[in-house]
Amino acid sequence: MDPIILQSTLWIGGIGLVSAVALAIADKYLSVPEDPRIERVSSLLPGANCGGCGFAGCADYARAIIAKGADLNLCAPGGAVCSNAIASLLGRAAVALEKRTALVLCCGDDDEATRRAAYNGINDCAAAQATAGGDKGCSYGCLGYGSCARVCPANAITVRSGLAKVDKKRCIACGKCVTVCPRKIIRLAPAAATIHVLCSSKDKGPAVKKVCGTGCIGCRLCTKLADGAITMDGFLAVIDYSTPLTNEETVAVCPTHCIRKA
Amino acid sequence: MEYLLLIISAIFVNNFVLTRFLGICPFLGVSKKISTALGMSGAVIFVIAIASAVTWCLQKFLLEPLGLEKFLQTLSFILVIAALVQLIDIVMKRFAPPLHAALGIFLPLITTNCAVLGVAVLNMKEGYGFIKSVIFGTSAAVGFAFALLIFTGLREKIERADPPRCFRGVAISLVTAGLLSLAFMGFNGLVK
Amino acid sequence: MQAIPSPFTFHGGIHPFYNKELASGSPIRELPLPVRLAVPLSQHLGAPAKPLVKPGDSVKAGQLIAEQNGFISAPVHAPAGGKVAAIEETLTPSGRPCASVVIDTDGSQEWSLLPSFPNWQAAGKKDLLAQIGSAGVVGMGGAGFPTRIKLSPPVDKPIDTLILNGAECEPYLTADHRLMLEQAREIRIGAEIIRQILGARTLRIAIEDNKPDAIAAVEKAFQGIDGDVALTVLRTSYPQGSEKQQIYSVTGREVPSAGLPMDVGCVVENVSTAYAVCDAVLNGRPLVSRVVSVTGDAIRQPANLRVPCGSPYSDLVAACSGLKGKAAKVISGGPMMGFAVSTLSVPTGKTTSGLLLLSSAKISCYTSQACISCGRCVDACPMRLIPSELSQFIESGDVGGAEQLALMDCIECGSCAFVCPAHRPLVHHMRRGKAIVMAQLSAAKK
Repeated sequence: MDPIILQSTLWIGGIGLVSAVALAIADKYLSVPEDPRIERVSSLLPGANCGGCGFAGCADYARAIIAKGADLNLCAPGGAVCSNAIASLLGRAAVALEKRTALVLCCGDDDEATRRAAYNGINDCAAAQATAGGDKGCSYGCLGYGSCARVCPANAITVRSGLAKVDKKRCIACGKCVTVCPRKIIRLAPAAATIHVLCSSKDKGPAVKKVCGTGCIGCRLCTKLADGAITMDGFLAVIDYSTPLTNEETVAVCPTHCIRKA
Repeated sequence: MEYLLLIISAIFVNNFVLTRFLGICPFLGVSKKISTALGMSGAVIFVIAIASAVTWCLQKFLLEPLGLEKFLQTLSFILVIAALVQLIDIVMKRFAPPLHAALGIFLPLITTNCAVLGVAVLNMKEGYGFIKSVIFGTSAAVGFAFALLIFTGLREKIERADPPRCFRGVAISLVTAGLLSLAFMGFNGLVK
Repeated sequence: MQAIPSPFTFHGGIHPFYNKELASGSPIRELPLPVRLAVPLSQHLGAPAKPLVKPGDSVKAGQLIAEQNGFISAPVHAPAGGKVAAIEETLTPSGRPCASVVIDTDGSQEWSLLPSFPNWQAAGKKDLLAQIGSAGVVGMGGAGFPTRIKLSPPVDKPIDTLILNGAECEPYLTADHRLMLEQAREIRIGAEIIRQILGARTLRIAIEDNKPDAIAAVEKAFQGIDGDVALTVLRTSYPQGSEKQQIYSVTGREVPSAGLPMDVGCVVENVSTAYAVCDAVLNGRPLVSRVVSVTGDAIRQPANLRVPCGSPYSDLVAACSGLKGKAAKVISGGPMMGFAVSTLSVPTGKTTSGLLLLSSAKISCYTSQACISCGRCVDACPMRLIPSELSQFIESGDVGGAEQLALMDCIECGSCAFVCPAHRPLVHHMRRGKAIVMAQLSAAKK
């Protein structure tokens, strides 16, 4: 063999060996131990980094599960599949997670609800609310400037004709829209529920009628047909989702059509 | 005086990123936040400075006496640089974990960063002595840091702006990098 | 006492058209007593007052109807005699609903007054402060900070300069101007009382140079006053009436970022507040009314009315012979820092200095565009902030970044929005950003 080839191989091999030894020594004395399970849990999570679990991204949630014993069922996009997989990895019992969806409790779009002034400012619901209480006639209804739609990580909310609506199929129930709505009229409800009272106005009947054609006027007709699932909060009908509501007559009997099937 | 010209040339006139177009990967990858960019800059300056010194010694005391420098230069340089960066990776993970987490994948990527190898090879090509090699290497890295920090500041501002849909993300950043490179062409002829 | 030119000028500021000639010639006259008053329980900074009356009760003018609720709060008194019809929520100019005591007035002239201090020079500081507090006197320049607290700075902040704010830098408004012309004597007494309470060595009355008649009237009223007293003639510029800017113009002292005037040994009080202090101490009358400028090009007869608090705006408009055509925009306050309202049933309060009714010719609906980094806002900002950067931070959701650029120092004067060529709603952004920061702070406290 050509001496140069042998020499080169030996020298490169030698440098490599020296480096390897140096690195091995450094690794032994300077390494930082990390629980390998964090990496594995992290790989089971969806990786959307939506923050719905309340932690700063999937990696942070994985760390919280291992280090701080966080609940396994906080990941809404991952759902039951994810929480079951993590549970079996860690040898813990699986916890059931009910699928939920966000719901905008208002059905007064620009055809039904009046606006009391022309708003000329930032295209944002909180900004509109801060300006003379918002331009909508009803002081409880959806302002329709789309702050919820912009914050939704799943693009599940559309704003049409001044009213926001959540697409049940896309919603991952992360709760960001609930936080951002300045009028606090978005709530998380079980995805299985189909009948909803889409109104949040606590005003008396005549006052509601003045500003919206489809708001709840507090007539109580629905409460009689709901077997206790609908109760009155002042002049507003409210559904208690822990009680199943299947009587579709509640939808038909509502005079202002604010109870809808969705 | 000669050293001053060398430094100015490495930092401004022949800026490694904007004029020689080496080291684009970390330039685009770590330029989202000033704090991360500062950390990366520090790491690169450190690596290049030491790499310049070590590769110079390797060339002078091993490769040249054995006559192997013509064909083993690239291979041995990469080997040494790789080991060096790995060592820095381990040290950083131990002593500065937040910075290590922030730099993420880009720290090991300094290994394959053409800027580091480029500095080492250029040193040999220009035939610099030991001191000059180290100074040239460090200045080149400072030039890299300079370009990186300017670009990060620009990117932070673009982050808050509202570019047209087709330009969002990396697209507008690349356009900006091109404009920045154009601006640095103004230094041409500063040092003969 | 002499009139001296202002030794300093603050940075930035703007020079809008003032249009003060619409109302500056109208002497103050009384508003015909409204049939119904909705007296807000929150006419001041701090917690709303707690009502002491209930529907059905009879009240006399000046009677205490709501007591102070907490340290930073102020009591509320009935502006006129009558019967309490209800305690319900009304809309305030800022858009937030507020509980109010609704009184059906009966026109009775009987007053329930506090004991007065005709010999106030001999009175102790504590008694005078208690009187001012019980009379519900608040800062009438617009903030509504309870005056009793303002005049009780902590011992480690000695006050050496009292500045009387007669600048009235907002366009259109002339309430303070007329007050200085017609009641300068009472303003002097109020100033002297405040100076005595604070133990301040220096008294400066600050008036803009676009009000030469007011300068003459005040000069005349303050003749013979003892001590280091002078009238500082300010260069007409907006926002000369903002206290931090005024302190700089008059004394050259800069209030530090996130600081207060007392940090530089100064207290600034509006001339209307001085008038209210005089009324409270000398006559025992609580603060229940104030001068409001009803002006603008959509009102038939612009006037300066003395209005009982809680009067609906519609009554003020009627007292000025109604509208000339349609009012496209109704602003509570001045055009720079006032709030646009959507209904005339909003009641006045202790801090309502003006009601502006503008026709469509005087307003514009703008479409805003992206910031072009021209820097005009930076030139204009009197607090030396960078409104372009701040608004971009807030618009992209990074309120923390905006906070680091001193967002909380913004006084919302509107100079930046006024000069912006891209018509960006800068003040709206600042208000939103500040609201988010305040919400975060209060959430963190819990």
